[in-house]
Amino acid sequence: MNTKNILDGKSAIITGCARGIGSAMLEKFAVHGANVWACVRKLTPEFAERCNELSDRYSVQIIPLCFDMTNKEEMKKAVQLVMKSEHKVNVLVNNAGITYNALYQLTPEAALREQMEINFIAPFLFTQNIVKLMLRYGSGSVINVASTAAIDANSGRSAYGASKAALSCATRALSREVGMQGIRANVIAPGITETDMITSMTDAVIAETVAGTDLRRIGSPSDIADVAVYLASDLSSYITGQVFRVDGGM
Amino acid sequence: MLLRGKNAVVTGCLKGIGKKTLETFAEQGANVWACAQYADTDFEKYCVNLSERTGTWIKPVYFDLTDTDAIKAGVKTISSDKLPIDALVNVAGFTKDAIFHMTSMEQLKLIFEVNYFSQILITQYITKLMLRQKKGSVINIASISGLDGSHGQLAYSSSKAALIGATRTMSRELAPHGVRVNAVAPGVIDTDMNAYVPENVLAGHYNNMSIQRMGCSGEVANAILFLASDMSCYMTGQIIRVDGGMK
Repeated sequence: MNTKNILDGKSAIITGCARGIGSAMLEKFAVHGANVWACVRKLTPEFAERCNELSDRYSVQIIPLCFDMTNKEEMKKAVQLVMKSEHKVNVLVNNAGITYNALYQLTPEAALREQMEINFIAPFLFTQNIVKLMLRYGSGSVINVASTAAIDANSGRSAYGASKAALSCATRALSREVGMQGIRANVIAPGITETDMITSMTDAVIAETVAGTDLRRIGSPSDIADVAVYLASDLSSYITGQVFRVDGGM
Repeated sequence: MLLRGKNAVVTGCLKGIGKKTLETFAEQGANVWACAQYADTDFEKYCVNLSERTGTWIKPVYFDLTDTDAIKAGVKTISSDKLPIDALVNVAGFTKDAIFHMTSMEQLKLIFEVNYFSQILITQYITKLMLRQKKGSVINIASISGLDGSHGQLAYSSSKAALIGATRTMSRELAPHGVRVNAVAPGVIDTDMNAYVPENVLAGHYNNMSIQRMGCSGEVANAILFLASDMSCYMTGQIIRVDGGMK
């Protein structure tokens, strides 16, 4: 197998491409030869320019797809655009999410509902739509980005961790339901990663967390993106229903 | 190519997952010390052909995992090449199935000798070299039976569980110095180990899977490839199930 371009000929939808892990995924998927629908909430001229640049540089098609994950009408329109496209969807990466830190006793209801809405319900509904397409083609790989907080139940991360645990559980259940239709579904659980999400953490907490990793370093968005490429590719054809911790060993 | 210019030690190369790993690694540009239990002319020919086809070097190294002196000599052969070692893949292993009460101490000790003690010994030697380079990736081949238990595999499942514990601890100790340690836990794979499993038992396994078929050794080799490559550079201490999604 020539794995220079391990995603050659595949088309992927990646949500949350504007920054952080999603932005790194967009680039890695392009490098490995995939066409990408790059989903963002708001389309800026800079982002459109970046999509064009990546398309040219790697001879793939990067199509910006602009919608608010919590807006049903907008999501429907985005799905219709994908359906009408000449490309078949082979891969869905639900990466978009928001973080929240607060002690359990101090978590307001609105924040709790927002976490569940954006981190769990929105990707759940989006996946329903896209898996419907994948079922027609009889193949596909769904990759949902959760968090080690979903497994480790960290203090101050009850709402965030629970929303990611819900996403992780749903993904594994999905893998059992669609495995025989050729669709795989796996979870990536990043540990501490160099993104905007850690701006809510103090330097002391970051240092302490990093010291607790076996590799003694913070993860980079591209570290996480590499694992997504692997799970999207046929190299992982017998792997489904799994949760991959990409956490430097915690 | 995901392993271009890397050098790897792979054990159990005569057949099954080890042989497929050897082939996959060479195709991905890696040079390999291909470790096997005994010298075999067909195997040597195979290595020469693979090496020519892929433009890599493949060096057969022979030792039996029940022979500590032979292991030491084998490792010495490898280290005397004085080349960097980027990956160590411990594939060699075996099983002799028996239910719990029918498992003899002799059998249990033999399986632990091959599947656990010898793996630790090889890894101690090779990672000592990796620590000097401050980089490396160790991949142990465990089994889902080491995680889930398996009827009739008391000795095998416990030896693999022990290897999983060792994998996690080695990660704690070695990863701070740049050496990642992970394991792959294959499910039901099309190797000799499953060649004599009755059809009805296999059907029972398939019913518990999302992807209801036997896995190919190539699919396990591809997971090993991922863990040996820089694509998994932030992963350590992990046990990757390659099992078609077993319940």
